[in-house]
Amino acid sequence: MADRSESGKTMLDIQHYSKTYGEGKKAADDVSLTIESGDIYGFIGHNGAGKTTTIRAVVGVLDFTDGEIFIDGHSVKDEPIECKKVTAYIPDNPDLYENLTGLQYLNFVADIFDISAADREERIKKYADMFEITDSLGDQISSYSHGMKQKVAIISALIHEPKLMVLDEPFVGLDPKASFILKEIMHEMCRNGSAIFFSTHVLDVAEKLCNKVAIIRKGKIIATGTMEEITEGHSLEEAFLGDTFAEANHE
Amino acid sequence: MNKNILLLRTLLLSTSQRNIYKYCKDKKKRSKIAGAFIATFFLYALLMGYCILMCIGYGMTGMIDAVPVMCALTISLLAFLFTIFKTNGYLFNFKEYDMLMSLPLEARMVAGCKFLYMYVKSLPWYISISLAMLIGYSAYAHRSVITYPVWVILSLFLPVIPMLIAAFLGFLIARISAGFRKTNIIQTVLMMAFVIFCFSLRFIIESVFKNDKVEATLERTSEITSNAAGIYLPAKWFSDAVTGNSVIAMLLLIGVSVLLFAAVFHVVGNSYRSINSALKSHAASKKYKLSGQKKRSVVNSIAFKEYKRLVGSSAYTVNGAMGEILAILLGLITLVLGFDRIVQVVTNDAPFDHAMLQPAIPFLVYFFIGMAATTAMSPSLEGRNYWIVQSLPIEKKALYQGKMLFNLYLTVPAMTFATLCMCISAKVPIVDTVLYLVLGLALCAFSTAWGCVCGVKHMRLDWENEIEAIKQGAAVALYMLPNMFVVMGLVVLVVILGLRMDHRLLALAFILLATLLAALSYLRVMSLAKRK
Repeated sequence: MADRSESGKTMLDIQHYSKTYGEGKKAADDVSLTIESGDIYGFIGHNGAGKTTTIRAVVGVLDFTDGEIFIDGHSVKDEPIECKKVTAYIPDNPDLYENLTGLQYLNFVADIFDISAADREERIKKYADMFEITDSLGDQISSYSHGMKQKVAIISALIHEPKLMVLDEPFVGLDPKASFILKEIMHEMCRNGSAIFFSTHVLDVAEKLCNKVAIIRKGKIIATGTMEEITEGHSLEEAFLGDTFAEANHE
Repeated sequence: MNKNILLLRTLLLSTSQRNIYKYCKDKKKRSKIAGAFIATFFLYALLMGYCILMCIGYGMTGMIDAVPVMCALTISLLAFLFTIFKTNGYLFNFKEYDMLMSLPLEARMVAGCKFLYMYVKSLPWYISISLAMLIGYSAYAHRSVITYPVWVILSLFLPVIPMLIAAFLGFLIARISAGFRKTNIIQTVLMMAFVIFCFSLRFIIESVFKNDKVEATLERTSEITSNAAGIYLPAKWFSDAVTGNSVIAMLLLIGVSVLLFAAVFHVVGNSYRSINSALKSHAASKKYKLSGQKKRSVVNSIAFKEYKRLVGSSAYTVNGAMGEILAILLGLITLVLGFDRIVQVVTNDAPFDHAMLQPAIPFLVYFFIGMAATTAMSPSLEGRNYWIVQSLPIEKKALYQGKMLFNLYLTVPAMTFATLCMCISAKVPIVDTVLYLVLGLALCAFSTAWGCVCGVKHMRLDWENEIEAIKQGAAVALYMLPNMFVVMGLVVLVVILGLRMDHRLLALAFILLATLLAALSYLRVMSLAKRK
């Protein structure tokens, strides 16, 4: 469970967000949820439920017309740069510049966030050592395995000490040790007042890691709250399957 | 460091062959990069040599004053054409869009840097042309010393305006397409319609500038270029600045380039996220009913995969199938207007017997059909998905055969249609028509197999953007350049030989030659399939 020493400040506030595609299909329908600093918030749902669509809108990549999204009090629509300055995003399959070396890529991101030379060196060393990738930072990203690319993407996300970290299926491709380290980092960030919002299919991970969850089905939030409220004494898997089956039967 | 410069530097570094060479540990890859560098150097030398010779020709005929405008028009036209094909893929709908847009960078900054990246990458071509023309120009026009730095500095600005116009048109096409459900199809259709319009514009401009007599036209080249400069003002500004040392003209070219850049990227930046969202996001259909599955042979199945890849990418469709569409249009126009009328328009009613052009019909059609071969692009286009075919229990031979079969599916019907239309319109006897069709088939086979040799031999899977494999790959350049020059030469050769020998015998000789070349290329593909 999330270890929260500083909490209460709203880091992410999604209000009635909807996304309709050109075909007239609603990928996200009236999604509302609030994430406070110190929260590790799990976003769970079946394939194509609307998790990635919502996440991409949160990080300012996907355009949307209905609803509002606020990050640290700034509107994603009106003040996208202010929002992105405090956010880090790790997509499920990060497209990095393959012909750069890992270090060249990390320096590029550090430059964008205006991180001093001393700070970036300290952080790159810290996280690269943790993920045991320091020896490979001088190699081209194209020579990395999927897991190594994922580790570089995670380090690049941590380099500016974000207040909100948004991750799309972050544990896919990571080895058990790297998964463990990432979870530790997430806990540490929350203790320092940041918030984590991540999607996952691995319900065991969500249950152990998150203090709050939202379940999305066919673009609609069907359940949201603290882990205790959602599970009501059952496992998250039972609660998730129960909720989705109930929703399906209701339809 | 300024974030614009930082982003531009990273974009350039991410595709820099020097950077790959420096950090790559694969010796084979490093030697390929070195080889490509030498080949590119020769291409630049070839281009510069051609430009210098052209200027010498102008100088010897007393038309050296037309060179600055000619230089400006050549660079502008190339810049426009290079950019219009790349806009979708570089400026919009690019792979690392999510990564870049999640960083605290303004949308207009990302778009602007992507544009500047295109500019810097193609600048060496424009500067080569410009410097070569300056050398040729200075040999005949004895100008003051100031002409040289002004020429070089303004050459840096010459491509900007046409590139901005092309980028803005690409933006409009993307903007319109983004409003439709089938964005990809709309974008492809609009882009193709625009390219066809550009091709026809050449004839419209020629008919405006040229008189009926070819001789008179040649004599008035200088007037033609100044007429063109009167319409396309940046060419006039360039010419005035370098020939008349006009400071106003110089400031106009620089000022308009900079202001237009700011204006275009203000407009593009405002809709950048919405356009890319529409182009990159599609909802999966949820009402599909599974029915009517068909079993295909392995080779046919690969050919079908190639078809789906072609229609799935507007950049690939526009570049890969443009020749076939132009050939079909040529056939239709010839059928409607008549073969003689087309020859009259193209040759400005030059006084000669149009029948002597009939043996060149297969080569005229092939000029378009052979413009691009999907086989030259598709091996590289496998990109990081190459593992899919690698992991399947199929031989490479079957994979390449499938790719070649698809190119034949694409080229043969278009070639047959265009050749038949031209033969009917030119009233070519049936026996000759059959011979021309067979020659066309042999040329299609050659184009397919030769394209595949280039595509397999110079396969590059580590591209960042599919445009790199479609337009900029060594495979495509190696296929396209000699192919186009040889075909242009063959058209002339076949007309000349047709006057001296029986044209049926001539057609048979070319059928044998093309078949032999196709067979050799095919055998080369098969040996490459065994080796790799």
